[in-house]
Amino acid sequence: MRNRIGVYICYCGSNISDYVDCEKVKDIAAETTDVILSKTTMFACSDSAQNEMIEDIKNQKLDAIVVASCSPKLHLNTFRNVAQRAGLNQYNYVQVNIREQCSWAHSNTPPQATEKAIKLVKAGIARAKQSQELTPMAIPSTNSVLVVGAGVAGMRAAIELAKMGTEVFIIEREYFVGGRAAQWNELFTTNETGREVVSRLYNTIMEANNITLFTGADIDSKTGSVGNFDVKLRIRPRHVKPDCKLDWGKFKKAVEVCPVEFDDPFNFGLTKQKAIYKNFPSEFPEIPTIDVEHCTKCGKCVDICDKIDLDQKEEMLNINVGAVLLTTGSSPYEPKTGEFGYKEIENVVTLQQLKRLIELNEYDLIFKGKKIKNIAYVYCVGSRQVDGENKYCSRYCCTSAIHTAIMVKEKYKTINNFHFTRGIRTYGKQEALYHKASKQGDIFLQSFEDSPTEVYKENGHTVVKIKDILTADKELEVNTDLVVLVTGMIPRKNDSINNILKVPIGRDKFYNEIHPKLRPVETVIDGVLIAGACQAPLNITESVKSSLSAAVKVNSLISKGKIELEPTLAQIDKLLCNWCDKCADVCPYSAIVKEVKNGKMFAVVHEANCKGCGMCLPVCPSNAIQLIGYTDIEIESMIEALID
Amino acid sequence: MVESKEYDVLVIGGGIAGEEAALNLANIGYKVILVEKDLSIGGKMIHLSKVFPTLDCGACITTPKVSETARHPNIEIFTFSEVQDIEKHAENDFSATLIENPRYVTDDCTGCQICEEKCPVVVEDQYQWNLVGRKAVYVPFSIANPRIAVIDIENCSLCGLCEKVCPANAIDFSQVEKKSTIKIRSIIIATGFELFDPLLIPRYGYGKFKNVVTSMQMERQLVPTRPFNNVLRPMDGKMPDNIAYVLCAGSRDETVGNPICSQVCCMYSVKQAQLLMGALPMADVTIYYINIRAFGKGFCEFFQQAKGMGIEFIKGKAGLIKEKENGNLIILYEDIQQGNVKEAEHDLVVLSVGMLPNTDFTEIFKNSRVEQDLYNYVNKVDELCCPAKTNIDGVFVAGTSTGPLDIPDSILSAGAASAEAAGYLNGGVK
Amino acid sequence: MDGKTTAPRILVFSTEKISDPAIDLAGLLKKHYPPTVYTINVPCSSSIKSKWILHALDKGFDGVFIAADGTDCSFSDTCTERTGELVQRTHALMKEKGIDPAKLKMAAICSVCSEPFVKHMKNFVEALAS
Repeated sequence: MRNRIGVYICYCGSNISDYVDCEKVKDIAAETTDVILSKTTMFACSDSAQNEMIEDIKNQKLDAIVVASCSPKLHLNTFRNVAQRAGLNQYNYVQVNIREQCSWAHSNTPPQATEKAIKLVKAGIARAKQSQELTPMAIPSTNSVLVVGAGVAGMRAAIELAKMGTEVFIIEREYFVGGRAAQWNELFTTNETGREVVSRLYNTIMEANNITLFTGADIDSKTGSVGNFDVKLRIRPRHVKPDCKLDWGKFKKAVEVCPVEFDDPFNFGLTKQKAIYKNFPSEFPEIPTIDVEHCTKCGKCVDICDKIDLDQKEEMLNINVGAVLLTTGSSPYEPKTGEFGYKEIENVVTLQQLKRLIELNEYDLIFKGKKIKNIAYVYCVGSRQVDGENKYCSRYCCTSAIHTAIMVKEKYKTINNFHFTRGIRTYGKQEALYHKASKQGDIFLQSFEDSPTEVYKENGHTVVKIKDILTADKELEVNTDLVVLVTGMIPRKNDSINNILKVPIGRDKFYNEIHPKLRPVETVIDGVLIAGACQAPLNITESVKSSLSAAVKVNSLISKGKIELEPTLAQIDKLLCNWCDKCADVCPYSAIVKEVKNGKMFAVVHEANCKGCGMCLPVCPSNAIQLIGYTDIEIESMIEALID
Repeated sequence: MVESKEYDVLVIGGGIAGEEAALNLANIGYKVILVEKDLSIGGKMIHLSKVFPTLDCGACITTPKVSETARHPNIEIFTFSEVQDIEKHAENDFSATLIENPRYVTDDCTGCQICEEKCPVVVEDQYQWNLVGRKAVYVPFSIANPRIAVIDIENCSLCGLCEKVCPANAIDFSQVEKKSTIKIRSIIIATGFELFDPLLIPRYGYGKFKNVVTSMQMERQLVPTRPFNNVLRPMDGKMPDNIAYVLCAGSRDETVGNPICSQVCCMYSVKQAQLLMGALPMADVTIYYINIRAFGKGFCEFFQQAKGMGIEFIKGKAGLIKEKENGNLIILYEDIQQGNVKEAEHDLVVLSVGMLPNTDFTEIFKNSRVEQDLYNYVNKVDELCCPAKTNIDGVFVAGTSTGPLDIPDSILSAGAASAEAAGYLNGGVK
Repeated sequence: MDGKTTAPRILVFSTEKISDPAIDLAGLLKKHYPPTVYTINVPCSSSIKSKWILHALDKGFDGVFIAADGTDCSFSDTCTERTGELVQRTHALMKEKGIDPAKLKMAAICSVCSEPFVKHMKNFVEALAS
């Protein structure tokens, strides 16, 4: 039992003290038995307050401290550090959350908030009294990482991790690397093509001897935890052997003879493709592949090239990694049929389709046999939805649409661009592109929030109608031969990864980080990090920044050979245990085993496997199991303090 | 000749980006020297109230990073210091001159502020954006790190009272500037941004009309450590009840030499407006805007929330601000939605000032020069793949030195800089 | 709750990584729920002992709410099943002791489910009060 306890009540500037009478809480805490000192502080987390606590612990010989401030998610480690620096065991520190779960939650009823704070602090003191000295466990970690998704973000993280000395396995679900960027021509801000960026990164990956790339690969299963994940990879066959030295001419012949034809996803259905394919000559890896879903295994291509092997089998591969980094990226929003005429009016396409069209049309922009003269860009399709689910702004689309419109103008000169916007968001330096588009003669219009742009057919013409804010709410109609829906970003469909890794997903369906400022690339699952557009809509530079941030976090997490973990472990009282195997049965980590000594059978916890979930606690018929940090006496004394 | 101290990385600038970069590298095991020009680390962020879009308080997020940086065994911090004459001798081999400015107060200072009480000199407090005064000897601000006093020697009357009352005998008028040479292997520039000076737009009357303030001055009135414990307008100390925000003050405006968007003003104004609704429940808040750039994760929802709270948004740029006798202000603006020029009266006008580059980085190299981009920020030579790379190998850039960025983006930018620096220090792809 | 001290008192068992963040988020967004709701957090909702629940009810709590991990549990996908079992067992024990089983409730609260949490609390307090 601890009996020299120090209590600190934080004002948090005014976040707490505006609603909770901190002085009163402090005074009542001071009267509690075994509390030696009780103080208030403006910011408990400030250095001066921390130093004061250290002095107090030393001078008053405190054997436990309680800080009532914000959520332990923010500052548990801050104050555990304070305890340590003062020579106190960090587990004799108890954090009480009187901000998120008290002053803010009950800001409408300050007196009751104060009452609640008092009880919460008393419960914290009760817990501190029962707190034990514990040593964190150190578990070994392998300095290797699995990067999921070989788009620009994933490849970039892989390269930097390799430079830092971490071994990298990078897997790509598709048969070619580059993700979305490979589909784009010139990219905004630098005008480098997506393809150039991808080939630069691919070549660096090939040079590095500590990066292994698998295409056509998925995660099949995962066991283990941070520092030591065992991941089983499923590598689907490419049906073309790696030593294929197929030249482009021979490949073209193989494509010619292939009898299967279907909509080409690389060109968003603008063209057809064969079952044997490669999307463009310099696509990486340089070996073509066969789309097994469409292939009829007729064998005609095999006759032309003996490196094609239609009997290749799926392979499974086990790897051991210390961390997993998800860079699974995004997809363009797919408009619903009839949304701004999509799939109902023949000349309505998405921005992504337009980008492909620009690349496929050298001299004139031709769509469905017709030379395009006027393009209408309809913004915020699938983003900022008033009625739909996607409330968020997709961030990149304004700039991307404007950049594309500039490319259109530069390449085809005579085309007129009309932008039907909801307010242009070319933030930062991207503003220069907006300026440039306006200067080149593009027309920008803006619809009212309650009266969206309409696309319809009239007398054989496709018409886009807007009530325009910028011309004092005049109704304008534009006859156009191409309507481009500026579609936003949605996360890629990753059901199997989500099931296996259990990464939390936010309201916007993107992966959720712990905190956008404090821990922007980490998830609540230790050792599983996220980066790039799987986390939120981002452009390429922003994705790379986030993936590099994740790279440096991964490296510092797993590169030291060991990771310190909470000593939260289940403990079994041998004397009380009558081995019934219920605990071993429910343990998800196979951490409980039977032991026999002097004819008595009892359960034993294998500490390296125990993750401290406590699932075994309630199933024990003789209450023989205690979870360190959550023992009966700790929980029950807190309950008593709360109800007092 | 004194042996020069050696470090792996020099981080220039101790704002949120510099701290994040320093911590990332120190956590891997690299030795970092962090040099900050100002009296405290924490940059601009430490002075902010709640931050968008999560509305957690700036201090709650900065202070733990500040403390973690300050006591990290692999980080050595020099505040009130500068670096000059940086020279690259070879890869992984730089030298620089470190200049420590005299505080006239030794490290024995406990921050008790007794000297501050006695000091007879009062001047404007730059850390409260001149809203209130401070003494000539002063602790910069309550959550400063290090929290020790400094003597503002230019304003000091040399009366010696502080020296007499200091219980720690920490006052030392004999201190002089200290120069030393350091050796480093890599550099991260994180010198941040400057706020746009609204005096450059005379038609808004800043500096002339007392009730025209900057957004930073409003920010200070909304923080927990605020000077008046309330929101007051400067002229008469009245609580304002009809507040206007003028967005794009000094941004997206070629006439003042800053054609780009500052990326944060829309959101911080929306945030301040929300906080004002809390602080002054009876007040009306109107935001005059060109476009609301609510683009980041959770921003659009945050903007919608503001609209739901009853904050008024008027699409129109303020042309001219006039002052009435009672100190109220008349804004002449073009109401774009209605297509005419209108007038509106407000009792407080906040100019949402934008970001400008802090160009200090151009002066610190001896035989080479860090390239600037079109807008005078640090030029990124490989923006898509290596967003922290500058024209000098081994020199990286983080945070708002690269251009306007909000806090989450600055932190990610710092992450990128630290990753690239770590890759460089470890010798690249093998 | 207009200041009545007679408002039902609820003990919430939250989980550190999933439901407690949601309860934090409710506070962050100033979504109010009755101030007679108190939280104790545990690593996983499947670790709550019947003994603790009974102790709370015995000592004077009017209701116990388990803010379960649900399918988001990072420990195991058996969490929902296990938590359900412990609630069942406890309900049986409560019946034995003559305690109304309605005093123990469970619902999965995901890490961003602040809205549902607040709703659950309001409904539970109302149900217990009547």
